[in-house]
Amino acid sequence: MTEGFRLDLGLIGYEDAFAVQDRIVFGRVRRGLPPVVVLQENHPVFTIGRGATRENILAPPETLQRLGISVVKVNRGGDITYHGPGQLIASPVLRLEEIGLNANEYMHSLEDLLIELLNGYGVAAEKKELYPGVWWNGRKIAAVGIAVRRGVAFHGFSLNLKLDCAPFELINPCGVPQMPVVSLHQILDNPPDFESVKRDLCAAVERRYRHRLRDITRSELERMEAS
Amino acid sequence: MKYEARVPETADGAQEVTIKRWLYQPGDRVAEGADMVEAVTEKITLYIPAPADGILSEIMVPEGTAVHVGTVVGIVEGA
Repeated sequence: MTEGFRLDLGLIGYEDAFAVQDRIVFGRVRRGLPPVVVLQENHPVFTIGRGATRENILAPPETLQRLGISVVKVNRGGDITYHGPGQLIASPVLRLEEIGLNANEYMHSLEDLLIELLNGYGVAAEKKELYPGVWWNGRKIAAVGIAVRRGVAFHGFSLNLKLDCAPFELINPCGVPQMPVVSLHQILDNPPDFESVKRDLCAAVERRYRHRLRDITRSELERMEAS
Repeated sequence: MKYEARVPETADGAQEVTIKRWLYQPGDRVAEGADMVEAVTEKITLYIPAPADGILSEIMVPEGTAVHVGTVVGIVEGA
């Protein structure tokens, strides 16, 4: 059992949260920082992965400005996606050697973890061949994308809990035209609240990867990084 | 002495990765462990580190090329 931390950043700008994650990855790679699972919700943003082009944004910049949606290039795999309030983003910063998986196996294990979590809520979530992520009834409910630096995996997945899915209509999500997207609150009459999902999710990470996570604040983590 | 930079084994051995971006050019000085190349699969970005302190002397695999795990992508000449 590996001891680690759960860092809940709450509602935060993507770039701010990314900088936090980047420091944690640096700490994991260079300085032996324990594993950290970073949780966050983002202000409205389209993120463009390494496999992507801006051609998959269908709306003009003026529309994005009016809707308050920013655009950020990021260093994960995958194409373009949307993040916004009501979507839980989890970024486990884990050393692949410690969990005994290669990058590809780890990415698929994140999909399995999400499917188990959603099945527990009575949602028949599943994988879809050739289309990474987690799906319900032909609609995507969670996106998965990771990066690996010197054996440390980061980024992770985004799970639509109470997300306004309308902005997805302004892009070709993950490079796929007219890909249907769904949020948990559209499936369940009484969806679990955000905090319950965070708890369940971290418990699933603990079981699957044999970690024990305790809460840490951003300032506590920064003090640990500095020491 | 020549040091080889290879696609790391953290990727699935049966899977190809595409060399997306070289972060250094031949003649540049690199530090051991620094991100030297980005390789991507559909959903995974892999950073290939410099194998030693030295000069990146040769890029064996250009950007946009698909390669397998273990492939030598570049050479660093160190002390």
